[in-house]
Amino acid sequence: MSKQAMSQDKLQESVPLTMKDDSYLLEVNNLKMYFAITRGIMARLGGYTKAADDVNFFIRKGETLGLVGESGCGKTTVGRCIARAYEPTAGEILYRRADDTIVDLARLEGQILRQYRKDIRMIFQDPYSSLNPRMTVFEIVSEALKVNHMGTQSEMEDRVAYLLKRVGLRPEYMQRYPHAFSGGERQRVGVARALVTNPSLIICDEAVSALDVSIRAQILNLLEELQSDFDLTYLFISHDLSVIRHICDRVVVMYVGKIVEVASGLDLYMDPKHPYTEALMSAVPISNPRLRNKESRIRLSGEIADPSNPPSGCYFHPRCQYAKDICSQEAPPLRELPGNRFVACHFAEELDLRGATME
Amino acid sequence: MSELLLEVKDLKIHFFTDEGVVKAVEGIDLKIERGKTVCLVGESGCGKSVTSLSFLQIIHAPGKIVSGEMVYYRQTPDGTTWEIDLAKLNPKGRKIREIRGAEISMIFQEPMTSLSPLYTVGNQIIEAIRLHSKATKDEARKQAIEMLHRVGIPNPDRLIDEYPFTLSGGMRQRVMIAMALSCNPTMLIADEPTTALDVTTQAEILDLIQELQQQYGMAVLFITHDLGIVAEVADDVAVMYLGKIVERGSVDDIFNAPKHPYTQALLHSIPKVAMKREDLEPIQGMVPSPFRRPNGCSFHPRCSKAMDICSQIVPAVTAIDDDHTVQCLLYEDVASRAEVERAQS
Repeated sequence: MSKQAMSQDKLQESVPLTMKDDSYLLEVNNLKMYFAITRGIMARLGGYTKAADDVNFFIRKGETLGLVGESGCGKTTVGRCIARAYEPTAGEILYRRADDTIVDLARLEGQILRQYRKDIRMIFQDPYSSLNPRMTVFEIVSEALKVNHMGTQSEMEDRVAYLLKRVGLRPEYMQRYPHAFSGGERQRVGVARALVTNPSLIICDEAVSALDVSIRAQILNLLEELQSDFDLTYLFISHDLSVIRHICDRVVVMYVGKIVEVASGLDLYMDPKHPYTEALMSAVPISNPRLRNKESRIRLSGEIADPSNPPSGCYFHPRCQYAKDICSQEAPPLRELPGNRFVACHFAEELDLRGATME
Repeated sequence: MSELLLEVKDLKIHFFTDEGVVKAVEGIDLKIERGKTVCLVGESGCGKSVTSLSFLQIIHAPGKIVSGEMVYYRQTPDGTTWEIDLAKLNPKGRKIREIRGAEISMIFQEPMTSLSPLYTVGNQIIEAIRLHSKATKDEARKQAIEMLHRVGIPNPDRLIDEYPFTLSGGMRQRVMIAMALSCNPTMLIADEPTTALDVTTQAEILDLIQELQQQYGMAVLFITHDLGIVAEVADDVAVMYLGKIVERGSVDDIFNAPKHPYTQALLHSIPKVAMKREDLEPIQGMVPSPFRRPNGCSFHPRCSKAMDICSQIVPAVTAIDDDHTVQCLLYEDVASRAEVERAQS
């Protein structure tokens, strides 16, 4: 039996999958992504880097979900698992199709997986390295149409021209190469490329981090505009907390491969429940010189934990100022708190944590 | 109280490329006082980094300081002050080498690429110390360990023999700072020192620089595009656009009473953590190519308050008050008119 036929078979055999709520577009359950560490020429297994460890969250249709954390916390890994650039080690990635049936992206392969690549697209961080310098803008944007046999040459040209116009570029420029464009314009090409197959979910991996302030605001506004025009859902991965606050409805905070907190933007910033979130909030520079207050900043001692050799219990406990004995022994599960939020801390109810400084 | 350390007058730096002359810095004036923090803000390509490189005379060819002065008020141990024009010094001469790295030192954006991967951390710091003082190897090593300790590196006596690749980004930046401060400089140039770092690490490094600044009383020239950082660390701010300082003032003036349309637009285009979601007001268009600098005020094609005259006249530096200047025709008229009136009365 060919691989393709087999996976089709598997798909039909399985019991219909369900999500916890009808409004969910994507539901990630117990997602694990482990990278093997090999040593020596015999590629002896030396352990695993647990880049994503038991990650659970969902994305509602039409919302923007933020994913924040320090570098190395696994936020990009989660994004790439959903886009299926990686094959997850374990877990489910449930995706609701346009016809309301649900598939588990984590188990799809080959041709079947390929049709979902049209639905879930990515925008990358660096507009310089994410565009092939040897392809024209037309070739870059239309590539996904070509490999999916979506339309003739003239149809593709019309579609690319339309999209370039939508993202604020002149359609006449489609035969130019990326070097002729500035950073902001290149990022617009990247946005057009993501939109070309009419996706439902776009994963923006640090999509504005490499841009200048004035250009960043342009791209953020563009993304918001396109969201309402094309009915898009965004997974917005960033380390920049002010950008996340601006664009996201709900935010997921990750620390060393695990989710520590999920809440709406306002709740998370004004009333964090996890000590790590509190530390993140207090580290954000306040853009008002009259509110300088260095004493109030929480200083995290030590370095971010090593995901191949994490500490016992709660991964954050060696740096946490509220840590008690239980924290080093028992890993806190991600549990639901009143107000539709989730937190992984033993003392979430007792702690009185401070949010971001108001201006 | 305020004592001048460095005064830049009408500095021009041009790059003579095959395609034409790029006027990276087009006549800027800047004053840096002892022990103060000056922030140079602007978008990429505005000339802020080139300006800072020129203080150390390390501009790469085809770049050249075309004209202007950079007067460095050097204090000798006996308390007298010498004036040295850094712009006139030979980039390879002895004098600038005495100053470079010892009295004026620099930390860069990417700590990985600015540390040599082939030498241990200790080697690199000891090299800087031994170049500028008569310390023996053992003394220099002790000083290096002491410096690493001061910048908050755990186990400095073990870490001194590590190679940079074994360190995290934040630790590398601490090593860079230790190296820059090892000779007790009077001025530290920090070129986007936290851009490559995480928020929590960024906050630590900013705190560290300020702490060390208080201890050593050095001046800091902080180059950044992040207005949030500016609000946190600056005493004075200079906003650059296309090789010119369009506005200069105290940090309070710049954030709470910005005058230049570009400064105002920059402040409106940053998302704020504590604010409700609302539309950002981006600046229209983009930074023009350095080969095709607009006539008149170089910001006028993107300016929301541009007048017809803006494309014809280059605005002069106009003083709003003692330490707040702006280069914009909106204010020039007002000021000159006021002056005329004052003369008449």
